[in-house]
Amino acid sequence: MSNIPRGVRNGLLGVSLPVYLLLYAPLAIIAVFSFAPSLHHPGLNVAAYGLLANDPQVLAAIRRSLVLALCSAALGTMLGTLMGFGLSRFRPAKGGGFWVGTLPSLIIYLPIIMPSLVFGISEMIFFNYVHQYTGLLSAGLLTMGIAHVTFQAPYVALVVYARLAGLDANLFEASHDLYANGLKSFLYLTIPVVRPALIGGFLLAITLSIDDFTISFFTAGPGSVTLPIYIYGEIARKGSSPEINAIGTLMIATVIGVALLYYVVTRQQGRIGQTSAA
Amino acid sequence: MTGIAQGPQPQAGPNRGSISLQGVTRIFAGTIPAVDGIDLEIKAGEFFTLLGPSGCGKTTLLRMIAGFEVPDAGRILISGREMQDVPAHKRAVNTVFQSYALFPHLNVQQNIGFGLRMQGVKAPERKTRVDAIMELLQIGPFATRNAAQLSGGQRQRVALARALVNEPEVVLLDEPLSALDAKLRNELQIELLRMQKRLGMTFIFVTHDQHEALVMSDRIGVMSKGRVQQVGPVLDVYEKPRNVFVAEFLGLSNIWPINPGGGAQVDTPIGPLQITASVGAERMAMIRPEKIWMWPTRPERPNVFAGQVSEAIYMGASTQYRVALTDAPAAPPILVLDTNNVAAERSWQAGEMVFVELKPDNVMMIEG
Repeated sequence: MSNIPRGVRNGLLGVSLPVYLLLYAPLAIIAVFSFAPSLHHPGLNVAAYGLLANDPQVLAAIRRSLVLALCSAALGTMLGTLMGFGLSRFRPAKGGGFWVGTLPSLIIYLPIIMPSLVFGISEMIFFNYVHQYTGLLSAGLLTMGIAHVTFQAPYVALVVYARLAGLDANLFEASHDLYANGLKSFLYLTIPVVRPALIGGFLLAITLSIDDFTISFFTAGPGSVTLPIYIYGEIARKGSSPEINAIGTLMIATVIGVALLYYVVTRQQGRIGQTSAA
Repeated sequence: MTGIAQGPQPQAGPNRGSISLQGVTRIFAGTIPAVDGIDLEIKAGEFFTLLGPSGCGKTTLLRMIAGFEVPDAGRILISGREMQDVPAHKRAVNTVFQSYALFPHLNVQQNIGFGLRMQGVKAPERKTRVDAIMELLQIGPFATRNAAQLSGGQRQRVALARALVNEPEVVLLDEPLSALDAKLRNELQIELLRMQKRLGMTFIFVTHDQHEALVMSDRIGVMSKGRVQQVGPVLDVYEKPRNVFVAEFLGLSNIWPINPGGGAQVDTPIGPLQITASVGAERMAMIRPEKIWMWPTRPERPNVFAGQVSEAIYMGASTQYRVALTDAPAAPPILVLDTNNVAAERSWQAGEMVFVELKPDNVMMIEG
């Protein structure tokens, strides 16, 4: 720090402060305005939260969002973990080559960089066709769940792959060398070693699902209004309100909570050995 | 050894820990063989070193003994038992990996106890044995630490303890000291050797460091291009290398092509050399630089050549000279190594005239 020239340091400060301000001021404003006075409630108050708690539409949307997030995250984590293992096993550095190494990883990572608008529209069209010809998959929580799983899994794969790639390549051989057969190696080495990545990936998948609007919007049906879609509808109809601000504040709190949990869990992965029994 | 519910059945008898390799071959994806028809007998309780440059196949050979690789041809017998269909986890063989491969989710004690736990050894006995090996290797002070918190030397000890605690028939060591600094390396070489003699297990040690191989081994197998070039006791391999590769890999040497002159003399680029070795198919003469004598005046003995010191490099315990021969200016200068001990009569400066003596007993005949 001290060897950075004063001028440069001040310049950097001048750039980073506005950036932080732009990042966090809107969040703070939403939180503050969720306590703003309204027609019947003068002065700062929690009336908006009271309205939320008694609004069946909001409660239903929250319930749907949570069900969708938990279910899709569970499935997305399972699939993503398998993908992460596959990527690690056939990574180009291990002699996977283009067809079994590079290409699959490109295909798996593509959804991460694909604009979600494109993704959402194509999913909608796809589900429409399937429904039209088979009668299955009418737009609703199920189609949303499938769509969510498809964008969650690559992120989970990335987290799991990063964990596996960071491990000593001889670890699994060492377990076999020390008399563990395939099953024991899986139970006593693989699972404990990737557990932090599994938990981290699961939490990441939950936040991704709760947060998603674009893909949800295109794959939702009339009966599957989740929280982001509900907010969009409310704002489109009557603009911002203390209730919307309150929902926003709750979501911010939830996401920060999950992010903290993620941080704690991933930080723990180096220290697990000290706490588990012999 | 009691309490073993699963895992390998211990072998008894004098065969325990012997290894027999018969025509062992391993070919990776259609390229040239990594290991090419190796026949090798390793005796029970021996400290055997596989020495060779990187890519010579020594690690692949080790991995086949451990069971991580399957030979494409040939047989591997451990303690007299055919290993063809025995997976790694059923072999009474433990490996110390070059990277140590300590389990990141377990602490030191749990790492060491892993093998016993997988074999179904009950907790009380496990603790006794883990404690004993930790005592032996002085691991106690960091027993509850995590692998990530250990220094290189400590990791090495833990990796060794994790192998030894299982009392395997054979311990495989894949360049276990290569990541350590010179001082620690020397200490651990001695410790490793002491441990092996004390426990009497067969150790197969893989290294590319000829000094390490010379210090530690009962016997050495020198490998190159997937084949064993020479096998023998340390002294034999160093003093009587079979070919140019072995001679050069194990140390410094002077090597000349020869024309057999018949009898006790051969023609070389530096002139005729008297020898005591008999000449068979060999087409090279070799002498180690420390076996050459330097004199200020010409001694009346065979194989004495006049020359001028062209280079003198002081190396502490010894000095390395290059001597350009007066009568063979086209031949490369002779390499001579002279110790700087108290008995050394004198040292030499570049430019001085000397006589070098290649005693006939010290001139070896080797293959190309």
